[in-house]
Amino acid sequence: MTATGTSEGVQRMLADMREGVLQGRVPARIFNDQEIFDLERDKLFSTAWCFLAHESEIPKNGDYVVRYIANNSIIVVRDEHGNINANLNMCRHRGNMMCKSEMGNASHFRCSYHGWVYKNSGELIGVPYFKEGYEGQLDKKQWGMIKIRIDTYAGLIFGTLDPQAPSLDEYLGGFQFYLDIYLRQGAGGSEVHGPPDHWVAETDWKICAENFSGDGYHTPVAHQFGFHLGYFPSSGATHSEGWAVHIPDKGHGIGLGHTPGMPPFFGYPDELVEQMRGSLSAEQIEVFSKTRTAVGSVFPNLSFLIQPFSLVPGEPGVRFCTMRLWHPIGPGRMEMWSWCLVPKDASDEYKEAAYKAYTLTFGQAGTFEQDDFENWTRVTKAAGATAVRDVDFPYVMGLERPRLADFPGPGYAVSPYVTDTNFRNLWSTWLDYLTREA
Amino acid sequence: MALNVTGVDRETRESIREFLYLESLALDERRFRDWLEAFADDAHYEIPVRVTREKLSEWELSPTSRIFDDTKETLDVRVKRLETDFAWSEQPPSRTRHFITNIIVQPTEKADEYLALSSCLVYRSRGEEITPSLFSAQRRDLLRRDGDSWLIVHRWAALDQAVVNAHNMSIFI
Ligand code: FES
Ligand SMILES: [Fe+2]
Repeated sequence: MTATGTSEGVQRMLADMREGVLQGRVPARIFNDQEIFDLERDKLFSTAWCFLAHESEIPKNGDYVVRYIANNSIIVVRDEHGNINANLNMCRHRGNMMCKSEMGNASHFRCSYHGWVYKNSGELIGVPYFKEGYEGQLDKKQWGMIKIRIDTYAGLIFGTLDPQAPSLDEYLGGFQFYLDIYLRQGAGGSEVHGPPDHWVAETDWKICAENFSGDGYHTPVAHQFGFHLGYFPSSGATHSEGWAVHIPDKGHGIGLGHTPGMPPFFGYPDELVEQMRGSLSAEQIEVFSKTRTAVGSVFPNLSFLIQPFSLVPGEPGVRFCTMRLWHPIGPGRMEMWSWCLVPKDASDEYKEAAYKAYTLTFGQAGTFEQDDFENWTRVTKAAGATAVRDVDFPYVMGLERPRLADFPGPGYAVSPYVTDTNFRNLWSTWLDYLTREA
Repeated sequence: MALNVTGVDRETRESIREFLYLESLALDERRFRDWLEAFADDAHYEIPVRVTREKLSEWELSPTSRIFDDTKETLDVRVKRLETDFAWSEQPPSRTRHFITNIIVQPTEKADEYLALSSCLVYRSRGEEITPSLFSAQRRDLLRRDGDSWLIVHRWAALDQAVVNAHNMSIFI
């Protein structure tokens, strides 16, 4: 063991991985390992920009939700001036948890231990026995709740524990172009349909983040029933068509699957398509109008999916959009947070239809979701076995594939959609964080 | 809260209890087609998302978010899926046991429809895993008389956990 607590075995594995990942090899062990989990907590989640909440979850002054960055509980709240704040969910006096519910509305937070009172922005304003106990000597300004640095993009609120982290804009590094298909579904943007589903699974968060950064390869098999029953407006034969794009050295990636002959922006109501022609750039329209599946991950653990889906065979599909957070809670163990995003300006009928499509496919009881977690749980179990300590997985798909010269969007684009190109970038970025000097 | 008994006749009450037991047996024996027949054509099957809230909050069960939100048609989709060879989440199938207790039958405005409240505990075992998933729920079923038996017009079930400790919900409550 070294001073940082990482064994030589893991240090060597990470050192070898630097070369390996470029040649298409990734160690299985990273997907279920206590030391890797500790490194992720200390080096990745302590410096990256991490998703906290969508602005539409806290529309009114005083609205709050409790969220996490690694093991840190954070209150995300809209204060009395309408500004968004993120504070550690901990009383500054002796550390009692301030909010014990997932969401609510409060102008003040009062600690249930000794009664310190904070404004919802985090300032300490009330201390019992201030005169008698502290002789009025406690500097309340110094002992407010601990602030977390935040920034937003198109409704998404991100936080970072690192005051030195680059701006969110720089961190996203052009991936905003792709996020717009999920976040600007119409002129008014997107909103959550309601509170997220959440559940706990014996699955490593990274397997899911990788899958959503464009794993079109698994769809025809893992979700074979969808093709088989004909509930899915695409076919196995043309499934590999489309693009995969990533932002080099940033870890973000997206898969854009195409179905030949599909009408532009298929599955959206006409009035939304009209609006998107105004809210998206010509380049974005070129990329997204022909896209059937847009499945992408913001490094490290926020993902999105847009997909047309028909509840019943023969009926035209409706687009649903899911946003999901793969929150790590232990090696090979995660808590899943899953939202449905709907276009704010759409009709209630469309929002309901999109939400129904979401619950049937990717909600907690969703038929696609069920099979994904079944697979991911098994992958995680396998990766934790001692015989797998020195085993690599092949990430060679698309290794020689040329970068598209005339792709209209930013980043590194290849075609077809089915490839490991995005994943190699994901793992090399992940490695950069884990091996960074403190 | 008043604890008045509702005065539904014994025969009706017993018949509804037996129907609920038969229905859960069909689930536990994986006779999903038989199970589907227990639902009326206009049936609604829903499980709202539970959110941990402060005591005086307006709601604890989300008015908009649902884990299941199915019609008979979409339940049929789920069953058709289970009948394929590709429903990997149930391959091999979960072993479930539904424990239905505390059944209370209440009359409704309609003479041939009754409300059945029940407690439901579902034990699910998968593969060689020694730790089962447990789903505890309150159920409220609107039942319509159908000859000698009953049809479920509306099943509403609320899980007692806000964060479900199961990697998926590939079973029915
Ligand atoms: S811990 Fe909060 S007031 Fe003492
Ligand atoms: Fe999948």
